[in-house]
Amino acid sequence: MRNPFPLIDPVRRRQGPRENQLIGEFIAGQIGRRGFLRRGSALGLGWPLLAAIAGAIDPLGTLPARAATGKAGTTIRVGSPMPAGAIDPVTVGDAGGLLMLQQVGEFLVFDQPNLRLAPMLATAWKPNHDGSVWTFTLRKGVTFHSGGMMTAKDVVATIERLADPRNASNALSVFKGVLSPGNIEKIDDYTVAFHLDAPHGNFPYYLSSDNYNAIILPADYKGDFEKTWDGTGPFQIEKYTSKVGASFIANANWWGGRVLPARTEFSFFAGQQPQVLALEGGDLDVISQIVVQGAEGLLTDRRMSIIRLEAAIHRQVHMRCDIPPFNDQRVRRALALTLDRPAIIQGLFRGLADLGNDSPFAPVYPSANRDVPQRRKNIAEAKALMQAAGSRGFPVTLTTEHLLEMPDYAVLIQNAAREIGIDVRLKVEPPAAYYGSAAFGKSDWLDSPFGMTDYGHRGVPDVLLTAPLTTHGTWNAAHFRNPEYDRLVAEFVAEVALDSQRRIAARIEQLLLTETPIIFAYFYDYLTATRKGVTGVAPTANGELYLQSASAG
Amino acid sequence: MQDGPAAWLARRISFGLLTLFLLSVVVFAGGQLLPGDVGRAILGPLADPRAVAALDRQLGADRPAVMQYLDWVLGILHGNLGQSLEFRAPVSPFILGALAHSLRLAAVALVMVVPLSIGAGVLAALRRGTLIDRVISLAGLSLTVIPEFVTSILVILLFGVWLRWLPISATWRAGTGLLGQLDHLILPAIPLVVVLFGYIARMARAGTVEALEADYTRTAILKGLSGAVVIRRHVLRNALLPTITVIAAQTSYLVGGLVVVESLFRYQGIGSLILAAAHARDFPMLEAGVLSVGAMTIAVTLLADALTAFLTPAPVPGEGG
Repeated sequence: MRNPFPLIDPVRRRQGPRENQLIGEFIAGQIGRRGFLRRGSALGLGWPLLAAIAGAIDPLGTLPARAATGKAGTTIRVGSPMPAGAIDPVTVGDAGGLLMLQQVGEFLVFDQPNLRLAPMLATAWKPNHDGSVWTFTLRKGVTFHSGGMMTAKDVVATIERLADPRNASNALSVFKGVLSPGNIEKIDDYTVAFHLDAPHGNFPYYLSSDNYNAIILPADYKGDFEKTWDGTGPFQIEKYTSKVGASFIANANWWGGRVLPARTEFSFFAGQQPQVLALEGGDLDVISQIVVQGAEGLLTDRRMSIIRLEAAIHRQVHMRCDIPPFNDQRVRRALALTLDRPAIIQGLFRGLADLGNDSPFAPVYPSANRDVPQRRKNIAEAKALMQAAGSRGFPVTLTTEHLLEMPDYAVLIQNAAREIGIDVRLKVEPPAAYYGSAAFGKSDWLDSPFGMTDYGHRGVPDVLLTAPLTTHGTWNAAHFRNPEYDRLVAEFVAEVALDSQRRIAARIEQLLLTETPIIFAYFYDYLTATRKGVTGVAPTANGELYLQSASAG
Repeated sequence: MQDGPAAWLARRISFGLLTLFLLSVVVFAGGQLLPGDVGRAILGPLADPRAVAALDRQLGADRPAVMQYLDWVLGILHGNLGQSLEFRAPVSPFILGALAHSLRLAAVALVMVVPLSIGAGVLAALRRGTLIDRVISLAGLSLTVIPEFVTSILVILLFGVWLRWLPISATWRAGTGLLGQLDHLILPAIPLVVVLFGYIARMARAGTVEALEADYTRTAILKGLSGAVVIRRHVLRNALLPTITVIAAQTSYLVGGLVVVESLFRYQGIGSLILAAAHARDFPMLEAGVLSVGAMTIAVTLLADALTAFLTPAPVPGEGG
């Protein structure tokens, strides 16, 4: 067969088998441009090379422009969630705190809104033969705001700090079973090798902006971030006032080039409604994140722009597989079949969400297998399953949190379940009461027979496949134990090649459709609101907001 | 035998201190009922238990609750309000800043509502049974039952979003002058005025009606004093006594109970601070916040009692038993 793309042959000859497999998938149309760029960046292929290959094969596609085009020197006023406590990169675990960190700090790798990895403080990364050692090449000429040069010792110290259980690190759950302290090796001043506990195909995501604690700090960081705010990013701290707000000024020495705004101002809010009012009243230019409930007016306001990002934010409706009434998978499937998912998405999110298919594989993930049929409402089948299970219905309590759309979603489940004789009673409690001590035996989340939990966006589905669903998963509220599932997930996590990931994903998705320990009905979009005329605002579904190219002209 | 002013004051202060101590015990005991722990509240529900344990250890939150309380009491006795577990910084600046904010907003609201509502109440009493009386009474009653969040949103939409006369946020930039600060506080004060107007006006009306019907007013009129003098010297002085008590009772609400208003207008007052501390299980911040509101309430009540005693006409020697 004639090679349709002879121009890239010289490039292919210089690549390894894994890279060539990826290029082959792209040529064959097995993956789209997005998947190609994402996997290529995960394999450590540089942007110029990826752009050249993508351009040769798919010349209509475009890489994201980095050039800032708006008016320079403006001040961008942002409405932000109130940070939950002290701003410390090691402990921060909330959206407001993350937003503050990310204004001054940067990651080794940037997980872009389309889930492609792009270089940030690392310029390249490569796995060894089985994905158990990943080597990162660091960018040269990067300085901290305090003046020091960023080198490998800063990277080693930062990630060691996060992987060390003695440090109250919020990233510990991410690195558990993946990276242990003492296994990070400085090869030279600009090269760092990570020796993993087990092969891991998506490890670069764990050092990316997907892991918001992983901003690179000076090696001698003493836990006093609110005094120093020492990072490498495009903005430097001007003023921070707990519970009130923060302002930042452009970093003239930023390695990434010119920073367009002169200043940014963040105002902290305790809820969404005051932010919406402040945006409408002209007090703000941007709200970092809005949810549809309570912001419906903004969605149709011509004076506003909504930035919509497809995301993996979702709710998990768990059914305990180890105790009645949900210990029969036919009953669990029956309940899942009562939900009219498109109607739920329309009602709760005005359509700004993707359908869930009862697995963590959100459509946004390139590794999701779209050949697996979508589960749809089918009351006849649900009734047949109930009959086969010998159940004529039962009362059960759905325990959930008083958070965003969750109480409304619970009511929709309650109404749907009634169609097959399941009498759902609702117990809606504050999040702190729902999570309790977050340990088995001390938490409504982990102990309730039927519960609903909020989960945020992740750049890869790995944590969502393991913690809530594997036999020893620490968030396994469904008490789901299936050795075949555990084996498939281990295989998926270790796999580097996308086509293999997809192949395994299909089997995982099928298995979860059969077992249905958790209902994943939707994955809703991440929304950012700006005033019309505000340009260059770049949010991510992780809750970051990049403003170096923003203009409020 | 009656106490002198100094003994009265000493007794009231002693009771106040005892109240504050009991309040601290109640807050401490209530705090133990809150679910979760501070490490979990800071790191989030999905954090690794080893990280939660490490943070609890760093913050001293893994010690027995009684020990934490006793340490805190010891600190208070040395003038130290303690260290916020959530912010890992001294509690005092947070409390003092939030209290100052709340007092400022309360002052603006009182300056607006007191003359307005007392004037309306007195006018309604003087025009008893007329249309004016009915309008003032009915308006007062109707306004009182409107929840603050409704009034807040209405005034924000009207004056902030549509007319753009006043800033929506009650938080001003550093360096803003007194008048500029006032500009930011007018909008959030309006819902408080709406809530309090009816209550204070009704009390003022009732007090005025009672004073108008009293013997001393009749005597003053019979003595030939002008209407204005009778009202100023005899009616108002007596009519305002119960109103002062009512205003004092509302001050603790104005300072510590404005969570909704503070949230909608983005104002860092003591109410929001206390609520956030309870959510975060930040025990030192919670104790200090509640006690500061408690202390302020006691002080205002004391002041109101003293003012009432000062305004109450002294019994004529030889009268009474």
